[in-house]
Amino acid sequence: MSRQELLNPGGLRIDGRRATELRKIKCKPSVLRQADGSAYIEQGNTKCLAAVYGPREPRLKSQIIHDKANINVELSYAPFSTSERKRRAKTDKRILEIASAVKQTFEPVILANLFPRSQIDIYLQILQFDGGTVQICINAATMALIDAGVPMRDYVCACTAGCFDKQPVLDLNNTEESSDSPELTVAILPRSGKVTLLQMESRLHVEKFESVMNLATEGCKAIYKILDKSIRDNMKDATSNMI
Amino acid sequence: MQTLISHSERDYILRGVESNLRADGRGRLDYRQVTFETGVISQCSGSARCRLGEGTDVLVGVKVEIGQIEFDGAEEVVGSKKAKWGRVVCNVECSPIASRQFAGRGAEDYNNELTQIMELIFNGPQAGIDLEKLCIVPGDKCWVVYVDALVLDYAGNILDTIFLTTRAALYNTRVPKTVVQEVEGMMEIEVLDDVQEAERIVGWEQIPIAVTLNKIGSRHVIDATPLEELATEAKLLVSVNKRGKICGIQKSGEGSIEPSLLNEMIQKILEALDVRLQQEEEVLANSSRGGAEVGQINIQKLGFFAAT
Repeated sequence: MSRQELLNPGGLRIDGRRATELRKIKCKPSVLRQADGSAYIEQGNTKCLAAVYGPREPRLKSQIIHDKANINVELSYAPFSTSERKRRAKTDKRILEIASAVKQTFEPVILANLFPRSQIDIYLQILQFDGGTVQICINAATMALIDAGVPMRDYVCACTAGCFDKQPVLDLNNTEESSDSPELTVAILPRSGKVTLLQMESRLHVEKFESVMNLATEGCKAIYKILDKSIRDNMKDATSNMI
Repeated sequence: MQTLISHSERDYILRGVESNLRADGRGRLDYRQVTFETGVISQCSGSARCRLGEGTDVLVGVKVEIGQIEFDGAEEVVGSKKAKWGRVVCNVECSPIASRQFAGRGAEDYNNELTQIMELIFNGPQAGIDLEKLCIVPGDKCWVVYVDALVLDYAGNILDTIFLTTRAALYNTRVPKTVVQEVEGMMEIEVLDDVQEAERIVGWEQIPIAVTLNKIGSRHVIDATPLEELATEAKLLVSVNKRGKICGIQKSGEGSIEPSLLNEMIQKILEALDVRLQQEEEVLANSSRGGAEVGQINIQKLGFFAAT
């Protein structure tokens, strides 16, 4: 396969975005009936559904933590979510790794010590995949947790950024992810600006790191505004129905 | 995780069914409102999503991929026939987001049960799909139709919804055209990218749908809610195609059905199905024009989960 041009001379990317442009985000909380909290989010062609159950009694005695709630994250891909049909086992290492990253991101944010000996379940379902699993999972989980009324210190918003040649780029899709460019995933607490997740699995020159990191942080803040608006709108609808 | 129902609740449902008035105001043989949406997943060859009332939500994605024809182990007569057949592979997954009873490994047995029933009805000539048309090179390559159903939300009657959605998804499916050339004794298959040339699955009109009848007390109801399902003694699933022919029957549940009741139940299902099939067909035929509503079935462009 010939190498595709990731950034054309006009400064446009494969899907026609500029270097610092996010994919189109659509989101909506409270989409499911059974779950205590749920959310649907779509970033470009990646679509994710999240549901939160709890705080409730743990299913297994061994999962009880005596001074705080246990947070459990499960992720699954729909078999038709990728371009080639593939069934992934729930014990797939890659899936477990992402689930554990999401769990670690939320552990310092959820006020888990308010619910000792209980469990909060976060279930994530990828319906369509086009890059950026970790970021979409975190964004969907944040919305679902807020919808469920789980007490949290702040939103958690995540975004990816990469670097083509010397140009930092925001929010990579699957084609861009699979090229050899570095990909940095950042999750921040938008109000305090604190970083709760930082992931990179490739090389990036140290001089470039700061600009890529700054771009990703800007992306997170932009996503925060979108999520916050959606949640507030949904809340307004709910309260106007009450009167 | 086993869900329980209290004695008084069971009694309430039983008496309601007895007097033909259920908890949500429906009669014994009334359906809930069904909302369809087709073509929701762009990476699939065909997809459909179906919402039953305000509850059960099923997403079916169909993918067609080129695969090997399977005819090993069959007898010669059957084998030579199967060598010219494409395949349909079904899979059902109940996502833990749908209900707490599907968490962990809780859904595994149930997934297998649902997948088996799907396979029973879709894997063979009774499914109505012209399997020979799916064959590309006899004895070697064929189109494999992967039907993946994902249960996203649960409010009873999953199986009927899966069948209804699968039919809509298969209606929505387009199989790309292929050109086969013989190059130096080897068959070369070229798949044409042109979307205009892609064709609908031949024989989709005869794809069956199914209705489950739940026996509660000495009466039976269709389209049961989760509580009604808990009060159900026995279930009877009958699958019928457009010609009114039965394509599959499956009895499940702990209780038993009296032979005298059995015929009556099948008759009831056949009547219910006839109406159902006509409604679905009309709605799907109108789907290209945006919204449509026929009887209890309507089709809407919701935008996925009505997200904006």
